Amino acid sequence: MQQNFLLKKEKLGEFLTALSKEAEVFVPSLNENNATCFLPYNSQELYLAERTQYSPKKILSPPLEKEFIFRKKSSSFEIEHLLDNKKRVFFGVRSCDTHAIKVLDKLYLEYFTEDKWYKAIREDLTIIALQCSKPCENGFCQSMGTDKPVGHDLLLVEKEKSFFVEIASERGEQLVKKYRDLFNQTNFTKPESKFKCSKELETTNLKEILDKNFFHKKWKQEAKKCLSCSSCTQVCPSCYCFLSFDKFILNTGDSERFRAWDSCQLKRFTRVSHDFFFRESRESRLRQFVMHKLSYFQENFGFPLCVGCGRCIMVCPVGIDLTEIASTIRGDSK
Amino acid sequence: MKELSLTTPALAEIVEVREDTKKIKTFTIKYVDRQKQKRFHFVPGKFLMVSVFGFGEMPISLSSSPLKTDSLQLTIKEVGVITHAMLQLKKGDKIGLRGPFGRGFPVARFRKKNVLFISGGCGMAPLRPVIYAIADRREEFGKLKLLYGCQNSDHLLFKEDLKKWGQTENLEVLLTVDKCTPDWKGNCGPVTTLFNKTEINPDNSIACIVGPPVMLHFVLKELKKHGFRDEQIYASLERLMHCGMGKCAHCNIAGKYACIDGPVFNGVDLAKMPLEEK
Repeated sequence: MQQNFLLKKEKLGEFLTALSKEAEVFVPSLNENNATCFLPYNSQELYLAERTQYSPKKILSPPLEKEFIFRKKSSSFEIEHLLDNKKRVFFGVRSCDTHAIKVLDKLYLEYFTEDKWYKAIREDLTIIALQCSKPCENGFCQSMGTDKPVGHDLLLVEKEKSFFVEIASERGEQLVKKYRDLFNQTNFTKPESKFKCSKELETTNLKEILDKNFFHKKWKQEAKKCLSCSSCTQVCPSCYCFLSFDKFILNTGDSERFRAWDSCQLKRFTRVSHDFFFRESRESRLRQFVMHKLSYFQENFGFPLCVGCGRCIMVCPVGIDLTEIASTIRGDSK
Repeated sequence: MKELSLTTPALAEIVEVREDTKKIKTFTIKYVDRQKQKRFHFVPGKFLMVSVFGFGEMPISLSSSPLKTDSLQLTIKEVGVITHAMLQLKKGDKIGLRGPFGRGFPVARFRKKNVLFISGGCGMAPLRPVIYAIADRREEFGKLKLLYGCQNSDHLLFKEDLKKWGQTENLEVLLTVDKCTPDWKGNCGPVTTLFNKTEINPDNSIACIVGPPVMLHFVLKELKKHGFRDEQIYASLERLMHCGMGKCAHCNIAGKYACIDGPVFNGVDLAKMPLEEK
């Protein structure tokens, strides 16, 4: 019989401080620009109202990551790997973001071959999820079936002056055991969170409908507004495209290889020799984003790449909304 | 196959540099690790991720014979920063190699069939290993035809091979150049104009295409006109991969990745891809 616990809200600070002593703890809070994102815990005030504007993707797959140092040795090179094996805890991860982490896990750890940089960061990661208790702006996780967290170690549900704590993995169990003094055993059952998402996306046959409507006029109409700013791909918790480049270190002859986030919304993304661009039009690039999220990815992985967090809608400066694109196309194809 | 060399570049030494044209060189390369060189083999059409340390990494198709494994060859045209740096390298210089990646031409499936090779410009490089593989077991295949077009006569690659292949029984080599110069006695115009210079029969035939995107469009049209069905066509698609392992998504084409599912695709898969992205 699984035991459930309560963590009093007044004990949360103590819990996070204790965790910080053994791992790098990331918590939802405000950055210097008042944007909500996951930052290292430093006794700051937590942002627990709804999902953060930025997902914890930034930590798992950093915007700029050094992969190698190539050391020049007379006429040859020595190749040094740079792997980040730090122990980490993510606290307060919302259901949508746990699904996004699942997407990254599938892609980086299982698909074709594993990515050792991602694996290094991912390996010693504890995920403490936090159940949403109200709808967030633009979210549609219920439509995407991502409203129940996956792959987490502990699940916290707000209950008056406490958090109800559900153990979801062995790692989670060990964690509660270790800090047992902070948790009270309870006979309560998990509080159900009842709310309706602010947005909806009908997913029945969505892939087929979108595939058939590759040249639907909606793409062009929306693309006319699109600024190709790539904000959508930056805030998306499951967007993973990256590029790689080298940099010389002055004087030594050594060089370094970096990997950096890239975006399908930028024209250069599909550049090949002789300055040929496969997706030169804004229309084709916007379509690539939506199609990759709702159609293409599913072919290889069996589930859509979109986790319904609604961040791309939130951040778009011109109001492009992929749920609206999908429903317009669906409406016209009836 | 899923060994470390897929994610970490293995050191390799340039043992010979040949200048094919003003902007194209063929590098003969050996892995520094001799055991690795010994184990090295590839299917024609596959590519390597080539590191020019300090400049970056780029996908380059293997251009040597798949039967020759004591070294490998890469034929590289200067088109950007990394290729420019590569072309400055000399005998003895070291580079990094990952791979081979991707799916090549299923040569075994071409047995007993006539094979039509169509290539444009640098597209001759990935086709060369296919022709080598088939020419080695000539009797197992039907009639072979190579239609090869490039900018002008100075840009023709592998002139010695072309000469040799031209003399091979049942291997017809047809060349064309976009811009005619006084010294050129052959055909002028795009590679599709060669379709009228020889008999193109789709019966029991396979077509292999490697060339720039624009050429591919016209060649596919021409093959359709001549009665080729999708399943008889194989084409290698050009993409600038950054990882080779289906992660960076630069080569994503609908549900496929050119680095894993390609770069050589069957016509049936090509037909499902959006036209603008081929």
